[in-house]
Amino acid sequence: MSPDILEDAMELWFGPQHVSAHGWAAKLTLVGDYVVECDPNAGYFHRSAEKVLEFKNFRQGALVLERMCMLEAFLAEYPYVAAVEKLAEIEVPERAKIMRTIMMELSRLHSVQFWWGQFNAELGFFTMALWPWVDREYTLDAFEELTGSRHTVSYASPGGVKYDFTDKVLTQINRAVNRFEDRLPKFRDMQMGSPTFRARTKDIGLYDVKQGLKWGLSGPPIKACGVPMDLRKDDPDPNLAYDMVDWEVPIIENSEHPGQSDALDRMEQRFKEAEVAVEIIKQLLPQLPDSGPIINPKARGKANRLPEGEAYGRVEGARGITTLWLKTQEKAQTAYRAKIRGPCIASYYALKDLVPGAKFADFIVIFGSLDPYPGWWDR
Amino acid sequence: MSETKTSASTIGRQIINKYPDVQSQPLEDNKIELIVPGEKIRDVITMIDELLDDALPESAFGIDLENDQYNLIYIFWSYTNRILLQLRVALEGEKPEIDSVCDIFPGFEWHEREAREMFGIEFRNHPDPRLLLLPDELDGAYPMRKRFKTDQSRLQETGIKPPKPRPKPGGEDK
Amino acid sequence: MLQFDFFTWLAGIPDWIYGIIQWLFSIVSGIFYWIWGIIEYLWATVFLPANFFFLFRAILFPGLVFVILALIWAVWFTRKLWGRIQDRRGPVHLGKYGGLQLFADAIKLISKETIIPDNAKRWMFRLLPGLLLVVVLLPFAFIPWDTVSAVNGGWAIADLSVSLVLVFAFLTAVPVISLLAGWVSGSKYTLIGGFRAANNQFAAEIPMIISTVGAVFLARSLSLFDIAMAQTNVWFAILLPINLATFLLAAIASVGIFPFDAPVADSEIIFGWRTEYTGIHFTLTYFAEFAEQMLYSALIVALFLGGPNGLPFLPGPVNFIIKFLIVFFFFVLVSSSFQRLRQDQIVHYCWKYLLPLAMLNIIIVMLAVVYLPGLILPLLGVG
Repeated sequence: MSPDILEDAMELWFGPQHVSAHGWAAKLTLVGDYVVECDPNAGYFHRSAEKVLEFKNFRQGALVLERMCMLEAFLAEYPYVAAVEKLAEIEVPERAKIMRTIMMELSRLHSVQFWWGQFNAELGFFTMALWPWVDREYTLDAFEELTGSRHTVSYASPGGVKYDFTDKVLTQINRAVNRFEDRLPKFRDMQMGSPTFRARTKDIGLYDVKQGLKWGLSGPPIKACGVPMDLRKDDPDPNLAYDMVDWEVPIIENSEHPGQSDALDRMEQRFKEAEVAVEIIKQLLPQLPDSGPIINPKARGKANRLPEGEAYGRVEGARGITTLWLKTQEKAQTAYRAKIRGPCIASYYALKDLVPGAKFADFIVIFGSLDPYPGWWDR
Repeated sequence: MSETKTSASTIGRQIINKYPDVQSQPLEDNKIELIVPGEKIRDVITMIDELLDDALPESAFGIDLENDQYNLIYIFWSYTNRILLQLRVALEGEKPEIDSVCDIFPGFEWHEREAREMFGIEFRNHPDPRLLLLPDELDGAYPMRKRFKTDQSRLQETGIKPPKPRPKPGGEDK
Repeated sequence: MLQFDFFTWLAGIPDWIYGIIQWLFSIVSGIFYWIWGIIEYLWATVFLPANFFFLFRAILFPGLVFVILALIWAVWFTRKLWGRIQDRRGPVHLGKYGGLQLFADAIKLISKETIIPDNAKRWMFRLLPGLLLVVVLLPFAFIPWDTVSAVNGGWAIADLSVSLVLVFAFLTAVPVISLLAGWVSGSKYTLIGGFRAANNQFAAEIPMIISTVGAVFLARSLSLFDIAMAQTNVWFAILLPINLATFLLAAIASVGIFPFDAPVADSEIIFGWRTEYTGIHFTLTYFAEFAEQMLYSALIVALFLGGPNGLPFLPGPVNFIIKFLIVFFFFVLVSSSFQRLRQDQIVHYCWKYLLPLAMLNIIIVMLAVVYLPGLILPLLGVG
């Protein structure tokens, strides 16, 4: 486009008060229907979590983290607990490892169901927006039976977990997982077979792996390019039970544009993730020992005051690599510096480069398929 | 993506061979920490970009060790080689300065903006030095520094009633 | 000196007072009789059998009141059907099956504060939603509800020899009003929505109007009543199936519901040209959308499905309403199964697919009428 077209440019604030912008804003420069420049604006959701973590003790810190992103609540609070366990050298009993892993995969399933409904609502496909959300209610029932709360589960604790799996909890988990598995083929058919959906999402928001890595993308947006980058396999955590299960990293066969991903691929990728999550849960549930401690009895004392050091807890969240870097001073009750790295920073940052040249209606599709959640960047 | 795997110690050795100012400190089996002087940060990061072609810029942040000493940490992750690379830069001064590395790894641009507004570390040649997360009235306040007290001195402005005094243990508050 | 007799004057005062009272009385009785004359005249106008007949049809059934009640029913039906498609129930609390929900919503919306933005042009802003609803409700007068027109004692309201053209004239005004409404609201998002509405018109109205040309050829008349009457033997849906499909799709595009929802894309442009309307204005635009859907359903029934012709033992309007329910059901079903298309994709599909298909069917019909008169014309009941 020639520079004198920019004289007709219209500046539009895709502002914080917009139906699809859940707490962030972008200043768009539009020429006709095309977006020429996109300037994402963060900070509407800033809760100064890192400063708050310097005043909370090591059992309270995880609760701050899970409120960063409630859609994957357990996956959000786990890095903190992993970092504390590394510093204090706390071991986790076997039963707790399996329960943690099941809960992580349930959170991943919940995140996919939520995002699926939300993405469709942004596209205007209200039928497919509500169908996965009905299944999400069953997953939330399982969370509620286990912890008493639907979203802010507060389940992680250094040295183990807080609540035990009762029979009712196992019933609810089985119900949620079976229901999702039964209905996924029909939903997938309705979603992927819909010609309007394919028309809207095909070849929208293309980027390749190298570009994505330079931005910092991880998780489903990178796996949709056909790259098996998954922290559960690449950096296995000894306090989780992923090695007890036989599973493969979920990636799709990206035959049309290998090494690149568009919005349709990212949708397919998230279906795959949910399927693998369900598979892991189904393999782990029979392996749960009938009885045993759910938390290391020495954990409470050890997690009270940590020795001096630095630790880095990481987890493969539903949106990518989620980490927490912790530095403590000798015999301190609170962290000295805690740095939260949310997976969605790259999704926002990528908008600067992906969106210019796209139509305004495609802007919605691009950021919806990258699944940004402002809580992770603004913290 | 590189087909052959390297290990963290190999990378560390290659960097130290080229830039002898850099010191290293192993953390765990495939994670390594390099302590880099401030002037060499661009060279070292360019070298990392050449050695690991799938380096993911994970995070970059500052730490306020008191008395005007700061540490700036950059973390890289390479999944094919399973290497976690942590670079630590020691800075000092009221307003420390360092070169920006956004053009090598674009993913650090927002991290550097945040470090600038939270700690006051100035990044030279940064393309977009605006405030990222903070409101305009906290510009220059550098909230993540330890000397920024989160007391209740501005409580009147918010219109919130101050909390009631807590009862002391062992009985009613007289 | 004039003689002034005090007592004579005193004796004349009662007469004077009596005269004034007579004068006042005559004025009052004059006004009374004048009003009485007007009431008598109105009474005669309304309840004269011929006039009452017509006014009943125009205002009560199947006229204005019936259409508005049908509109309220249509919104309820849409919400319940969408609910069931989306695996939920729709409104259930007020009234049995949630029937009174619409009344509650209407009362709530009308009692809300109407906010007019600073940048909006005030009088146009207030005028346009009402104008929109009126323009959409007017064509209901020309729908052939019954086989016999009102002048001859049937239930259809009015008829012109070119009523189809008049109906389309009204319908073409609707996107123009949407564009104006988006423009006068004074916000960039509404402006984009208004432009998209005009773009929808550009894309969809032409295939829609051309789809009706086939029916006009077969009935040899531009009047909706005659087109409905020409289907006594066979419905045009059997002779013009492609046109039925293209008219349905083009009608969905013209109304602006899914999948052609781009002017009112509520996740992209926050409700498009309707964003700034609140309270009573929003109610009017909301109902105007459903009234347009009902109008297109009624047009499909009249043009392609035989109108009031059908089961012979049922009166005309009942036939019409049954078919209308079926077509409206399809409208809602189609619109809930697809997602929103991008605006340029709408233009692409309408111009590259709907328009050629519509013209194809017309060409086939024209050729059939010319070259196979023995086959087609007896079907139409024409010699």
